[in-house]
Amino acid sequence: MTETQPASPAKALLLLPVLALLGLFFVSVFQLFSNGFADADGWSLRYFRQIVNRSDYQVIFARTILSSLTVALLSVALSYPIALLLWRLERWRNTLLIVVLVPWLVSLVVRTYGWLVLLGPKGVINGMLAWTGIIEQPLALMFNDLGIVIGLTHVLIPFAVISILSSLLAIESNLEEASGVLGASPFQTFRRIVLPLSLPGAFTALIVIFLASIGAIVTPIVLGGMSHQFVGSQIYQEVMYTFNLNKAAAWSICLLAISFLSLLLLKAIERRLIGTME
Amino acid sequence: MSPAQPEALAQAAPSRAARGSIHVAGVAKAYGATTVLSGLDLAVEAGTFVTLLGPSGCGKTTLLRLIAGFIQPSAGKIAIDGRDMAGLPPQRRPIGMVFQNLALFPHFSVEENVAYGLRLRNVPEAELRRKVGTFLDLVGLGHLGSRRISQLSGGQKQRVALARSLVLEPSILLLDEPLSALDLQLRKQLQAALKEIQRQLGTTFVFVTHDQEEATLMSDRIVVMSAGAIQQYDTPPAIYSQPANLFVAKFVGELNEIPGRIAAVTSETVEIDGPGGRHALPMSGIRGFSPVPGTSCVIGLRPERITILPPNADADAGGRIALPGTVIERIALGSVLRFVLRCGEQRLVAVRLASDGAALPEAGSPCRIAFDPADAQVFEPLAAPAAASFGEKP
Amino acid sequence: MTANPKISTWAGILLLISLPAPILIIIGASFSDTSYIQFPPEGLSLRWYRDALFDPRWPRAFAISVCIAAVTAVIVTIVNFMAAYYTQRHAPKLATWLELAIFSPLFFPHAAMGVAMVALVAQFGLIGTAPGIVLAHLIVTLPFSYRPIHIALRSLDPDLVRAANVMGASEWRALKDIVIPMCRSGILTSLLFAGIISFDEVTVTMFLIGPNISTLPVQIFSFVQDSATPVLAAISTISVLITFLAVIILDRVAGLTFFVRHDGA
Repeated sequence: MTETQPASPAKALLLLPVLALLGLFFVSVFQLFSNGFADADGWSLRYFRQIVNRSDYQVIFARTILSSLTVALLSVALSYPIALLLWRLERWRNTLLIVVLVPWLVSLVVRTYGWLVLLGPKGVINGMLAWTGIIEQPLALMFNDLGIVIGLTHVLIPFAVISILSSLLAIESNLEEASGVLGASPFQTFRRIVLPLSLPGAFTALIVIFLASIGAIVTPIVLGGMSHQFVGSQIYQEVMYTFNLNKAAAWSICLLAISFLSLLLLKAIERRLIGTME
Repeated sequence: MSPAQPEALAQAAPSRAARGSIHVAGVAKAYGATTVLSGLDLAVEAGTFVTLLGPSGCGKTTLLRLIAGFIQPSAGKIAIDGRDMAGLPPQRRPIGMVFQNLALFPHFSVEENVAYGLRLRNVPEAELRRKVGTFLDLVGLGHLGSRRISQLSGGQKQRVALARSLVLEPSILLLDEPLSALDLQLRKQLQAALKEIQRQLGTTFVFVTHDQEEATLMSDRIVVMSAGAIQQYDTPPAIYSQPANLFVAKFVGELNEIPGRIAAVTSETVEIDGPGGRHALPMSGIRGFSPVPGTSCVIGLRPERITILPPNADADAGGRIALPGTVIERIALGSVLRFVLRCGEQRLVAVRLASDGAALPEAGSPCRIAFDPADAQVFEPLAAPAAASFGEKP
Repeated sequence: MTANPKISTWAGILLLISLPAPILIIIGASFSDTSYIQFPPEGLSLRWYRDALFDPRWPRAFAISVCIAAVTAVIVTIVNFMAAYYTQRHAPKLATWLELAIFSPLFFPHAAMGVAMVALVAQFGLIGTAPGIVLAHLIVTLPFSYRPIHIALRSLDPDLVRAANVMGASEWRALKDIVIPMCRSGILTSLLFAGIISFDEVTVTMFLIGPNISTLPVQIFSFVQDSATPVLAAISTISVLITFLAVIILDRVAGLTFFVRHDGA
């Protein structure tokens, strides 16, 4: 609205509820930090020192970061064909969007449970392979890193599709045709027109999926089991079984630090990449 | 300050003002360092159809919004019906408004749109029904009351917007270029309808447009604005024949501009060096400045004031000024003929009646270009900001 | 991969079909006859639905989830509407800062968000209570509900409000008669979107439940860890159905293109 009315102070009360919620959120962040830098006896860096010194904890962090990176790259790569399909099929876009949105919005517990049913030793995939006689012993598809990566990728792909499709839809739809008319091969068109223009959406997806993946709890617990722990699984244990909120908070602060650093890193890469493409 | 409006200024005493009058005194509007309006004075008599005319960015819409109360003036006062409007929000001013995009409520039916203001005033249901019916009939939509807005044509929407505002019987109706989106034919119809409704109701209409023809057709009075100031406030014929300055003259109709330099000034005449030598023009043709010898000026000639004669004609008869020239183009435009002429370096446009065509030269032939010195108007050249609104370099 | 348009199209179709595949498997398994999920299935039955219905824990968790989702959606929508309306109409310069704050929870990994919420809710003594869960859900859904409302308000023609004002409407009256009805689809999108997210939220919620209260997804999670009984498939199918219905309603009232609109916040 172009001209803003002179605000009477009473109307500023409209902001009160949102400020209250945001205030509570910031209080919770503050508490997270004060919990993390303490143990049962008071201020302490004990749990951070643990993470730095204990090799089993380092393995958990390394697994979380590497798996999440794999998940993010895999999700973005696999979602391109889907996004392109929805972009080109304008007539079917809305219907196909339902096929993307429903899996995205269905509880991730349900989707993870679906993969448990698919990947388990007596699961559908092993059952099918055994039934057709391809294998005799069930394959180890879960309770390992593979299971976690498959599950998380599937859980997070819909977001990548939506993010990339948003970028694609901002492109004029006849740009691809125009490029084809000018004699560019489909690959050249993709490489020079579609890919650069959809890159912002792809990078958003990369960041958001990486953050969602390193913070995941449910999928790693169900598909990784306690032998293949994620940072999230460890945090879950500390809160639910050992009731050590200080340790859980310290781990959470590490997650936050990783997210923050990866955010900066990916933004820097994005800027350079988009720079070279232009 | 609008040039020479003695009777309007005499009426500026708000206490004597009737319902429907507007008094604008020293109104200025600035956004930060940008001045949009500077020191406007304007007195509109009740029952007038007044048009704010000017190029985009001249401040006409800002003035309308100030009158409506959407924005507050940085300085000066606005009075409606003789009441000072300072600090009053739009909902407490005796005004109605038709917006450029009409702003009809799409989730209401036609009737609900018209009834909305009455409902806000808690008008009893029976009277409300009667009034809505009356005003829908007035705009010729009596049979479409239950339609949804999306089911109406462009012209019908205009009429709903009009009925919705008029049903509240405002002292003043503000119209912000409501016809600009319509095609020419519909536009002509609605211009006539609007004028007719205004005449019937006697409400003061303040109409904003950038179209001088529309302004001339509809208005009792026109306010010509440019660069945040009022250039002239007068009746349409006066504005056409007695423009206050070169900006107004150019904006309200086609004008041949002949550059010249003032050579001498007497009490009766001003002598100007221009194409074809030195010409003596009567002082009555001077518009809005005092001529100083040695300064440059512009001689303005309306196309219909130029006579085209055969090259050998005795043109000087009757004190006319005649110059040798050539016909470059001759175009038939219905009832008139439009000529493009060249006189030395100067390009001129002349318009003659098509019925006189047989006696007029063809394209390519030499001719004499004549005009009565009394028809010539002398202006100061345009200042830079005004010239820019015509897309010219000063 | 995308070099050949045909390959790209087929890859797209296959991948698209794979998205709902695990969900479809669960739906299929929920009608299975055997007590563990196996392939190929042997017979059809509705016994797992009957088991779910007669175990009081499931209807209870379902009702709690629905109530929490409804309360969260209504509150977060009102809160965001008030904030977005005020900043757009009265304090547009504030909008950038407000949005930054509203979107900040998005950059929190879920596990960290869960631990932060535990600390917050515990401080108020609300662990294991519905208000505690609602409070956490309000913060989690805040950014998702803001965007549709913000877009709806921004695409509202400001002249409509001016027209109502000129006709005599006060700001509150114009809000009630014009702004809110015209923003209907944005408000409904916010309600449904926030409702779905709250209904399906598990990562943060599982830290906040107690002996007397659990939500449907959290209860599914705790059962999944213990046993893979087909009752879970029946429950999951019901949960999928609810989400599916909400998406269909969203499509009808507001259109799904909102999700892929490349503008606004």
